[in-house]
Amino acid sequence: MAQKLGVYICGGCDIGASLDVEGLAEFVKNGKYSSNCAVVKTSPVLCSPESKGVIEEDIKANGLDGVVVCACSPRVKWDVFNFGSALVERVNLREQCVWSFQDDPAVPGLLETMAKDYVRMGMAKATKSNPPEVEDLKTTKTIMVMGGGFTGLNAALYSAKMGHDVVLVEKEDELGGKAGNMYKSFPLTPPYTEAQDTGVAELVKEVTSNKAIKVMTGSMVEELAGAPGQYTAKIKTASKTEEVPVGAVVLATGWVPQDTAYLEPLGYGKYKNVVTAHEFETLIKSRGLARPGDSKVPESVAFVLDMDLALAAKASKEEDEAAEETAAAPAAGAGEGEEEAAFVYEDKEVAKHLSYSSELSSLVALKQAGYVREKNPKACAYILYDHMMVPGVNERYYKAAADDPGVMLSKAQVTSIRQDTDGGLLITAKNTLIGGYVELKADMVVLPTGMVPVTAHEPTMNFNYRQGPHFPDLELFDGFVDSNYICFPYETRRTGVYAAGCAHQPMTMALAKEDAAGAALKAVQCINSVNHGAAVHPRSGDLTYPVFNFVRCTQCKRCTEECPFGALDDDEKGTPKPNISRCRRCGTCMGACPERVISFSTYNIDQIGTAIKEVEVPDDIVAGGPRVIVLACENDAYPALDMAAFRKKSWSPYVRFLPVRCLGSVNAIWVADAMSKGVDGVMLLGCKYGDDYQCHFVKGSELCNRRKENIAESLDRLGVEAERVEQYQVSIDEYDTIPELIDAFMEKIKPFGPNPFKGY
Amino acid sequence: MSQVERVKPDLQFVKELQKVGGESLKKCYQCATCSVVCPISPADDPYPRKEMVWAQWGLKDRLVNDIDIWLCHNCGECSDMCPRGANPGDLLAALRNMTYRKLVRPNVIGSWMSSIKYLPILAGIPALIYLLIWIARASVLGTAFPLFKATEHGYEVAEGGKVIYGGLFPGDYCIDLIFGIVAILVILCFYAGIKKLIKGFDAMPKTFVVGQKAKPSFVESLVETIKYEVAQHTRFKQCGGDESTTTRVKGHMLTFYAFIILGIVTSAIAVGHWGGRIPGLDFLHAMGDTPLPLYNPIKIMALVGGVLLLIGIYKLTKRRLNLDAQKHGSSYYDWYLLGVIWAIAVTGLLCVLLRWTNIAVLAYPCYYIHLISVFLLIAYLPWSKLGHLVYRTMALAYARKIGRLPMN
Repeated sequence: MAQKLGVYICGGCDIGASLDVEGLAEFVKNGKYSSNCAVVKTSPVLCSPESKGVIEEDIKANGLDGVVVCACSPRVKWDVFNFGSALVERVNLREQCVWSFQDDPAVPGLLETMAKDYVRMGMAKATKSNPPEVEDLKTTKTIMVMGGGFTGLNAALYSAKMGHDVVLVEKEDELGGKAGNMYKSFPLTPPYTEAQDTGVAELVKEVTSNKAIKVMTGSMVEELAGAPGQYTAKIKTASKTEEVPVGAVVLATGWVPQDTAYLEPLGYGKYKNVVTAHEFETLIKSRGLARPGDSKVPESVAFVLDMDLALAAKASKEEDEAAEETAAAPAAGAGEGEEEAAFVYEDKEVAKHLSYSSELSSLVALKQAGYVREKNPKACAYILYDHMMVPGVNERYYKAAADDPGVMLSKAQVTSIRQDTDGGLLITAKNTLIGGYVELKADMVVLPTGMVPVTAHEPTMNFNYRQGPHFPDLELFDGFVDSNYICFPYETRRTGVYAAGCAHQPMTMALAKEDAAGAALKAVQCINSVNHGAAVHPRSGDLTYPVFNFVRCTQCKRCTEECPFGALDDDEKGTPKPNISRCRRCGTCMGACPERVISFSTYNIDQIGTAIKEVEVPDDIVAGGPRVIVLACENDAYPALDMAAFRKKSWSPYVRFLPVRCLGSVNAIWVADAMSKGVDGVMLLGCKYGDDYQCHFVKGSELCNRRKENIAESLDRLGVEAERVEQYQVSIDEYDTIPELIDAFMEKIKPFGPNPFKGY
Repeated sequence: MSQVERVKPDLQFVKELQKVGGESLKKCYQCATCSVVCPISPADDPYPRKEMVWAQWGLKDRLVNDIDIWLCHNCGECSDMCPRGANPGDLLAALRNMTYRKLVRPNVIGSWMSSIKYLPILAGIPALIYLLIWIARASVLGTAFPLFKATEHGYEVAEGGKVIYGGLFPGDYCIDLIFGIVAILVILCFYAGIKKLIKGFDAMPKTFVVGQKAKPSFVESLVETIKYEVAQHTRFKQCGGDESTTTRVKGHMLTFYAFIILGIVTSAIAVGHWGGRIPGLDFLHAMGDTPLPLYNPIKIMALVGGVLLLIGIYKLTKRRLNLDAQKHGSSYYDWYLLGVIWAIAVTGLLCVLLRWTNIAVLAYPCYYIHLISVFLLIAYLPWSKLGHLVYRTMALAYARKIGRLPMN
């Protein structure tokens, strides 16, 4: 507990002009927490070097263990107000008090009341904070790279160059992966106009000759147990199973070709001279340009990129299957309940993998059209596309490829592919650029290969985690280990495992190389954070972690089930077992716990509850106005509020904001605390949830929404309108709508009148 | 849905098009900017976008029978605006050049007309014919640079006489006979060409035209075309809008009407010359006895025509030289026609001046070159860019007939 506080009130940035700063200082000195306040000072500019010097001297002279800075938002000047081991509590007088203040002439002295509320809340929070007890973990620096393809090879090299030992695990007997079997790649170097050698052979040589990299081919990861920094990987080779200590993992398991059954409507399987792009690549590399049917060198090859036929056929088939499944469901139900079924990984391969690979398919068609021209200069390559996707620098390649007179392109909706008597193929297409409804003859047809991530077929990592061996919710991305955040592309739902390459999304080799670097850097960051107990992402550097008071734990398993990151394991009885280095410090477990046994040293149930209680709620709603507590997610909603204030927006003077780590950390008791205090409403401002979630902790805002229903029930029982508690989805760029949102809520609760608990 | 049409891509044809002026055709990525900016392209199935993709696919049948290449007057707006530098205007010009080259037989003339390499052959034919005549006449007259005196029986070589071109190259045999035969051959070639052209147009699927009242006859369409497009340059005037295109319209009008004037002059002289021999029509001699005196209205017309031709051709040449070579290529067809017209105009006027100054050693060679130039213009007309005079007129008339162009 921080008991010896220094309180500093800034008068700059309009604060002094709107508030009686000295009066506020007097209020602190003589107020409720006066016994904790060793120093109370004001400054016209608190962030000036002089004032900072004063604070530092005070800390030394008075042995302060906490500093309450009553100035601007905690989102700014955090580097200035950093005093080493002394805890810092920021009271946001500038943005959320002075700048966004909207006076209500009916009630005098509102701004002063608000400022005093915030200062008291800050003091309460400071006194309920402790410095985190930091534990140094014994960690290993080894990075395990899964997958010895182009991405994995690069990731291994990058990791080794950053001074880490690397274990490179490859399922096949040879390194190189899919790129190793390619004849050429799209351009990787300026001027990006010509297909070139993949360079995989050199890469393999470089990797195998690197002493820091241990290459394990013909190997599989059977199990990954433990936590970042302290993983143990059970790697099964042909002869034995090896246990390898691992710090972090780069997942580069890549892709496998999609089931060709999807391509049957386009003649695949029926006609020998209809092949997939993947097969064509192998064909060119091994035998050169020759038809599979009769080894004739084709004079024309059609690359059909329009997949309408395949997708439409699949859609109708899936409908039929769905209907069948519903019909068969009652029969299956009979077998249940006998024994807990063994884990079955649901396969995530879908027809849409063809669509996801579109960009690559476009580029591959251009590249392979080039093969046709290279191998037979008299031959023509036709490319029939629905969308020619060549974003970024690859447009240069598209231009160069299309400049070849023998490469002919047209948008087209392919309606049928039939075989002619001579083994050639007749393609009919409508809506073409060449005009209307056309028929085209080609000696061969090449269809795109859908890239299906290996992770769509198997759990891959085989985690020994309570929540299972797989990454959760991968069906959102149809099996790709994608991150929903454009800012954090390598994150997976399991701390310490970073996805790269085509496991992540279908991508070119140029991009895969960058991806490999990014994921390797994340792995290094992870190892170098967990070794001193710090969080990796997104609360990078946070040293606090959930502490369990097991005495009161009822083993309800809510925390272990709801943790979005599978951080918590449990024993047979159900007692949670924290794995600090897996934890992202969101507090979702704290919000889940009905017994409130989970806490962080600087963020806990008691602390926020006390802060809520520090809001002075007038007994008379007419004389003093209503009060509303806003629990705002500090990732998006809170900055949006700051931005709104920054842009001179203002809102009701009766709301009091409290930042929370995530709405997932909101415990029902806080709402109960607020209601019993007589507060008229509680707003929960969090990120968007659902399939296209924006929650930084994936599930937090969604869980909060679910828990809110329980809260509503309890409120009903107490005779308080459930509508007084509402959750809103706010994204960081919606600052302009925030004042309306708040004012609308104030209007909404007005008809309910005062909270019946007022004045108790 | 319309019927399925089999397309046969032809790589050789693509390469051929690239050679004759469409080298950037592969750069097109079908954004349709060209069709949008074209001031005269019809709203339905506009050109030149579709021609660009047909060219990329080497769809020869469609392109050689495409009427739209004659609807284009090549202002170059499309090439100016093209974001990829695909130069659609050049492609259509290349397609027209291909028609000049291939439409009319003998094809060998077409290929000779397609490259400067063969110019010696083409020019060599008239050069040889007239050189032989010159030599033969010189041996008869006793001099290669004779001076004449007019007598009752024609011209006689005489000391202190005058330069008279008709004396050295007698019109009846050297000019009228040779050019008469040439003209008949050219007309026959054109007849075959037009037939082939129209047959090609007929083979193309027709656009269904909404709201077209009665179908005009071909003759009606042709009359309208001559009245508007030919005589008034109506479509040509709408084509493009900047200064360069106005210069082009002016230059073309001047050249066109200069040729009309010169054509009238030639006809008048022919009528005078031959008509005057018909008993009772002797008075026509005044019109046909070259050289005409300076005050003769026909002579005045000839001189005016010559000067107008020079001004027109000057404007056209200057504009072409100022074109941005990146966006608007000039082919050999363009330079051939300009060159030949320059040669005709310059040697024509020089001949007059040299005759006046009576410098035989310069005058006759100049006249000799003049004859060769005129031969180059007329004899190879169906295979030269000037062929557009006939092909475009026919195509525009046909376009009116099928409703591709509206009747006025």
